[in-house]
Amino acid sequence: MLFELNEEQKTFQRKVREIYEREVSPLVEEYERKEAFPVHLFKRLGEEHLLCLRCPEKYGGAGLEKISECISMEELNRICAGIGAGIMVHGGLATDPILRFGSENLKQKYLTPAVQGEKIGAFALTEPDAGSDASGIRTTALKHGEGYRINGSKTFITNGTICDFVTVAAYTDPAKRGTGINLFVVNREDPGFSVVKKLEKSGNHSSDTAELAFDDCFVPKERMLGEQEGGGLEQLEETLKSGRITYGARSTGVGQATFDAILPYIQKTQRQGEPLRRSQAIRFILAEMAMSIEVMRYVTYRGAWLFDRGIASMKDAAIVKLFCTESLQRIVQKAMAIQKNIGLMVENPVQRFLRDARLFKIPEGTSEIQHLVISRELGL
Amino acid sequence: MDFELTEEQKDIQRAATQFAKGEFDPDLALELDRNGQFPELIWKKACKLGFIGLHYPEEFGGQGLGLFENLLVIEAFCRVDSGIGSALSTVDLGSEVILKFGSHEQKKDFLFPLAKGEKRLSVAFAESEDGKDLSSVSTVAERRGEGYLIHGRKRFVLNVSLSDAFIILCKEPEEGLTTLIVRRENGGMEVHPIEKMGLRMIPFGDLHFKEVRVPLESRVGGEDEGMVHVHHCHQAMELRGVAQALGTAQGAFDRAMQYAKQREQFGRKLSQFQVIRHKLADMAVSIEVARWLTYKAATEYDHEKIDPGFLFITQLEAGRRLVTVVDEAVQIFGGYGYIAETAIEHYFRDAWAIEVQLGTEEELKDMISGRILSSPRENPTEDMK
Repeated sequence: MLFELNEEQKTFQRKVREIYEREVSPLVEEYERKEAFPVHLFKRLGEEHLLCLRCPEKYGGAGLEKISECISMEELNRICAGIGAGIMVHGGLATDPILRFGSENLKQKYLTPAVQGEKIGAFALTEPDAGSDASGIRTTALKHGEGYRINGSKTFITNGTICDFVTVAAYTDPAKRGTGINLFVVNREDPGFSVVKKLEKSGNHSSDTAELAFDDCFVPKERMLGEQEGGGLEQLEETLKSGRITYGARSTGVGQATFDAILPYIQKTQRQGEPLRRSQAIRFILAEMAMSIEVMRYVTYRGAWLFDRGIASMKDAAIVKLFCTESLQRIVQKAMAIQKNIGLMVENPVQRFLRDARLFKIPEGTSEIQHLVISRELGL
Repeated sequence: MDFELTEEQKDIQRAATQFAKGEFDPDLALELDRNGQFPELIWKKACKLGFIGLHYPEEFGGQGLGLFENLLVIEAFCRVDSGIGSALSTVDLGSEVILKFGSHEQKKDFLFPLAKGEKRLSVAFAESEDGKDLSSVSTVAERRGEGYLIHGRKRFVLNVSLSDAFIILCKEPEEGLTTLIVRRENGGMEVHPIEKMGLRMIPFGDLHFKEVRVPLESRVGGEDEGMVHVHHCHQAMELRGVAQALGTAQGAFDRAMQYAKQREQFGRKLSQFQVIRHKLADMAVSIEVARWLTYKAATEYDHEKIDPGFLFITQLEAGRRLVTVVDEAVQIFGGYGYIAETAIEHYFRDAWAIEVQLGTEEELKDMISGRILSSPRENPTEDMK
């Protein structure tokens, strides 16, 4: 057992840190305020080969393993979780199913431009009435001529208003609850696809989130992922595992950013004439934060390591997401509370970290769903 | 011991709830929160109906009731909307100082217009990063003829751009710490706004005094009585804060309950899942605890026998219960808890703004433990009864 990143990974970590600090840091304030994603960043990161990291070289990708993706996601989220969300979905949920189940033609058509940042991807599973309960979706994709006609609405879609294509889950056979679902790639310009509205959120402001509508939206059969009808949710299994492990990296990044902000504050602040760093309670809190971040990082790496070997179970991925996103809450809450009024100020990043982190307990399986997933594998 | 509200108190609670439900339009609340605007029209209406300053004597426009009744109104308001409710609870900050220590003239000048909605009053005590640290006051008030000349900077002032006057704590070079009422029309004040994450309807910021001249009658009470005034004022403000916390927790709970009963996943209502039911149970427990602590503290305040240690306990408990209740409410809403249009999202941000005002867990525990440990009694919590 080696508890160290190898030289290549360490070099990669230094490289991405440097790139994100140069390319992303200057954008954060402006785009958080605008509540918009800095769309031009896709091309920029594409040029740096930092999109869709696990995509094979054949399609222009870096062909890296999951651990490297986690390293990259930790560093990006350390700077901005909102921007991190857009990049994550693009390289994960939106493109991963195409890579796994798309035809060679689809891969050429979508992955290559996605890797370059020429096309932006989104992923649409959640609906107004179906969140945790994915088999409860009502969107249908019914056979029509040489393809399918999609009808339904999707919500909380990251990159929703800026995407060029969206990977959509819909029932090809609504009678088969859970099993009659397929994934389709819909282009932004396909007639019948529309953005209903952009959603205002508590945090992750620089991430673009929208409600989408599909109204008799025709897609040719070749844009269905996989040959046969049905089995779409099963197709998502590996993608979901990967995404949940990524949440470990995102949480570690936000946790580290919070720690980096609170440590100097505690070092320099005097309260009631006493240096705050002399408070035993404060020292314990800081020690606990440092401990949590350390554990979060290694739990994430372990999940990624298992995933890279193809042996990560749903439980392994759920443990990463649940542990890391929940641990993060205590870190951001404590940092906020300690700073009092200073913490509340919009110019202080800690309030952003608190708002951003709060989201992590919800998407890609809420904390409650992760508990269920873990308990399911315990042989109860 | 009587754990029931009087008929009059129940009437006040009902009237406040009815008013809030009628006037606090959710779309308006979203808009005011987004734009950082004070609910001006609602404030005027609330004053017209007597919801502000009901603890002032009748001769000064009040109803001669206690702070307790005031807190019932704040709780009811925050329950319907945490942002509007909190904004309305901060229009007469510092009025308790005038009420207890002010001259007849000052009472007439301020209490009446505050109750009528013609004036707003706020306080400016702290100067350091920590809003409550008064260990180093450097704002100076120098005697100049028949008045004072004020220089200095105050931090984290609520309603900083709206209040017509501020009660400020100043150092007199010889005499010690004194409180003065500074009116905006005295001039020389500079507002430095600070944008904050929650309670965005309450303008917030720093206040700089540059050669502000106020007449001698602006002084509250005698010289060097400042700390007594501030202490008294803080107690009232903390109580308003815990009432905001209580109402906000209750409002988040109401919304989560309603949502859990109507939202279906996996073919069942959320309220049929054990985990969700237990969350609701925990939230209900928290609210009960916060409510009875708040009511007890308010009653003791009105009877002028509040134990500061007990107030710290109330602040600590109301604050941390608030944060967990609102957090669980957001979680029950899932993705909808995170987006602005569902009217639970701003509860999350407002809850933190309220919690921060109540003080950190560590400093409150410092004070509680300090009191317990210095008590000569065998059972130190007896002190707090």
